[in-house]
Amino acid sequence: MTAATLGFWATAVVLLGSSLAVVLTPNLFHSVLFLAVALVATGVIFLFLAAPFLFGAQLLLYAGGVVVLVVFAIMLTEKIVGQRIRQASHGLVNGAIVAAAVFVGIVGFLVQAGPPPAARPPLSDVTAALGREIVGPYAAAFELLGVLLVAALLGALYFARED
Amino acid sequence: MASVLLVLGLPLASFLAIALVRPLRRRGRAAGWVGITAMIVALAEALRTWLGSTRGTVILPWLPGDGGPMATVGLLLDDLSAPMLVLVTLVSLLVQMYSLAYLHDEPMPSLGRYYAYQSLFAFSMLGLVLSPTYLQMFVFWELVGLCSYLLIGYWYTRPAAARAALKAFWTTKLGDLGFIAGIVMLWSATGTFEFDALFRMAREQTLPLEGLATIMFLIYLGAAGKSAQFPLHVWLPDAMEGPTPVSALIHAATMVTAGVFLVARSEPLFVLVPGVLALIARVGAFTALLAATMACVESDIKRVLAYSTISQLGFMMAAAGAGAPDAGFFHLLTHGVFKALLFLGAGAVIHAVGTNDIFRMGGLWRVMPQTGVIFIVGTLALAGVWPLAGFFSKEAILAGVWAGGRSGVFVVLALTAFLTAFYMFRVVFITFFGHGHPHGEAHPHEPPWLMRGPLWLLAVLTVAIGLRFAIGGGGEHHPPGWLAALSLALAAGGFGLAWAMYGARWIPVEAVRRPLAVIDFLARRRYFLDAIYGAIYRGVMLGFARLIGWIDRYLVDGLLNVASAGTLRAGDALRRIQSGQAQDYVYGVAFGVLFLFVLAQWWRTP
Amino acid sequence: MPGLFAYLVVAALVFAIGLFGVLTRRNAVGILLGIELMLNAVNINLVAFARWHGDVVGLLFAMFTIAITVAEVAVGLAIVIVIFRVRRTIDADRLDLLRG
Repeated sequence: MTAATLGFWATAVVLLGSSLAVVLTPNLFHSVLFLAVALVATGVIFLFLAAPFLFGAQLLLYAGGVVVLVVFAIMLTEKIVGQRIRQASHGLVNGAIVAAAVFVGIVGFLVQAGPPPAARPPLSDVTAALGREIVGPYAAAFELLGVLLVAALLGALYFARED
Repeated sequence: MASVLLVLGLPLASFLAIALVRPLRRRGRAAGWVGITAMIVALAEALRTWLGSTRGTVILPWLPGDGGPMATVGLLLDDLSAPMLVLVTLVSLLVQMYSLAYLHDEPMPSLGRYYAYQSLFAFSMLGLVLSPTYLQMFVFWELVGLCSYLLIGYWYTRPAAARAALKAFWTTKLGDLGFIAGIVMLWSATGTFEFDALFRMAREQTLPLEGLATIMFLIYLGAAGKSAQFPLHVWLPDAMEGPTPVSALIHAATMVTAGVFLVARSEPLFVLVPGVLALIARVGAFTALLAATMACVESDIKRVLAYSTISQLGFMMAAAGAGAPDAGFFHLLTHGVFKALLFLGAGAVIHAVGTNDIFRMGGLWRVMPQTGVIFIVGTLALAGVWPLAGFFSKEAILAGVWAGGRSGVFVVLALTAFLTAFYMFRVVFITFFGHGHPHGEAHPHEPPWLMRGPLWLLAVLTVAIGLRFAIGGGGEHHPPGWLAALSLALAAGGFGLAWAMYGARWIPVEAVRRPLAVIDFLARRRYFLDAIYGAIYRGVMLGFARLIGWIDRYLVDGLLNVASAGTLRAGDALRRIQSGQAQDYVYGVAFGVLFLFVLAQWWRTP
Repeated sequence: MPGLFAYLVVAALVFAIGLFGVLTRRNAVGILLGIELMLNAVNINLVAFARWHGDVVGLLFAMFTIAITVAEVAVGLAIVIVIFRVRRTIDADRLDLLRG
């Protein structure tokens, strides 16, 4: 077992463990913190997959942006409601059965798909290639993404403003 | 052909005017004069056409089809249709004039309706006669059937009239079903409806013969329905519920002869199927005898005439079937004249005494001598007494049947001729010479000139036609010498028996009735045919209808109710699924994904 | 280096866990967190395939997903706050405006 493999599995364990904690912990605030851990672990997995740029994006946008946003939201709503938010769950057995069934379905597909092809050697400069793609063939999609973000920003402002 | 178009178009124009111009229709008398004026011109044109030498066919395409029109319309003027034009316009005109007096008590709007129907009928009958194709003939055939229905049911508030109208309509429709099936089959076999083309094929022997017997039998069914041949004759006596002039025009002189006309028209096709011809002859003779026996025991003067009409139609059909259609057609023309005369005379009598029952009349000779003379002229003609019109046409028929070698038919017809004289003179003796039975409150009197005029005209015509043949001796038939003697002897025998029973009362009626008790019993009950039809209707048709009704009410409706209730319940159940909880919808999505997994397994390519 | 299969199985597990969270959390923010996990799992798949096929477009898609997710979280949280204001609760089982 190489170091990379060992590192991957360790990261995977962290990822799965923090994910479970996200959906199981009764404290919403803890839940958000565990989500941050899970997102960082995902980013590390991106590193294992030779995508350092995405690791950066993941840290900045998700672990930074999203988590901060959610914490703000929680604190805001708690201020409005004036009490701590409960984070109870319900229908655990049903949820577990359905989730497990979906998991089995996906893995079943993976098994049936047969052995994957051998991995290509990693690209020499992924970030540069990504940049070329963004301003090249996918420029229009990228611009549209910008529009979407602006629209989402405006929408969020509209919903959240005091009136 | 322009004058033919005028003959056809004037009644139509009159019908349209009366039917569409409301003020005219509401003033029935004015509508009547419109119709009469149109018919006078039409009659003049018809006479000109008949006497002129123009004969021929005009054909126009109607329904387009691949390789020439599928069906055509047009006018066919030949020696068959030209005299029919005169007969139809003449009798129509006289009947319309007569009706003006006969129906003078009717409310004016109702009378307008009557004249609209009359004009439509004249148009339809002329169109039927002039049709150069089977299809066009069928259209007009149905139109005259419609007019017949409308006019029988003219007094539609009377239940009996409404029922009789329906009965006439349905009974003839039964035959018409055969007719339309026949001509469609004929078309599919030959590709044409046109008489000319069909007859040419028959002459050149290019007509496909297999199946022709069936086709011609079906066409004969139509003729049998219209011309009241056994067993479809039951509607005609009931049709007497209509006004008497209508009976004279439609149910004696013109429409009911359409069947005979059809057989005469289709003669070149019928000769190819001798089996059907033999059937026509036998059924005709049987119908003649059957109707005559019923006429002998009937007490309703109009019904006697109706049975006599059926009987005479049987004569014509028998002649057509025995290979002498021209004799049958000749009888059709003369019969049209003197039967119209008889009906209109009977109408005058009914008008005077206010009843149809001959046993409540009697002694009318003293108060209505003119009507009496007229009625007796008609009776003599119908009985076939020389030198009146009926003698020659009936002799022609007997000669034709004899020449055709149908001795059985001949004997039946001869017997019928005897009965004809008997029952007609029975009516005459009871009605005009019987001992003055009480007439009720009515004071019998001669009819007004508007009724007398047509009567006299028809009487004169009956005599004149007869004299024309008596003097001219014309006609292409040269019957054996003994036939005239036989005819006269039969007529005289019938007259004598009637006189002995009802005139001089030498022979009591019972003495004749008792040996013939079975026939008397059956004839008085119309041989139970109406009862049988009624039983069939009630038993089979109503039973079937009830079955269908039950199926509709319980099975079909039940199915629909179950479906609708199921839809409602399912909708209600599905509504409950919509909990409004987002997570329930996520469950739905998850189950959908799982379902897709299963489906993918199911249909995985091996 | 672990095989592609390992990445995919890990991603599937994270996805299932996220689904479980979406299905069981009573709280709207909790549900949102579950959705984040599921999207994350998809991202792992995309990046893994991009690595195995040597195709940078997979990374591009992952990046788009991240961006769209951020937008979604922003709007979702805004909605949650509005619901808070109006109904004073974010218990998902008490939010049944879609009830038929």
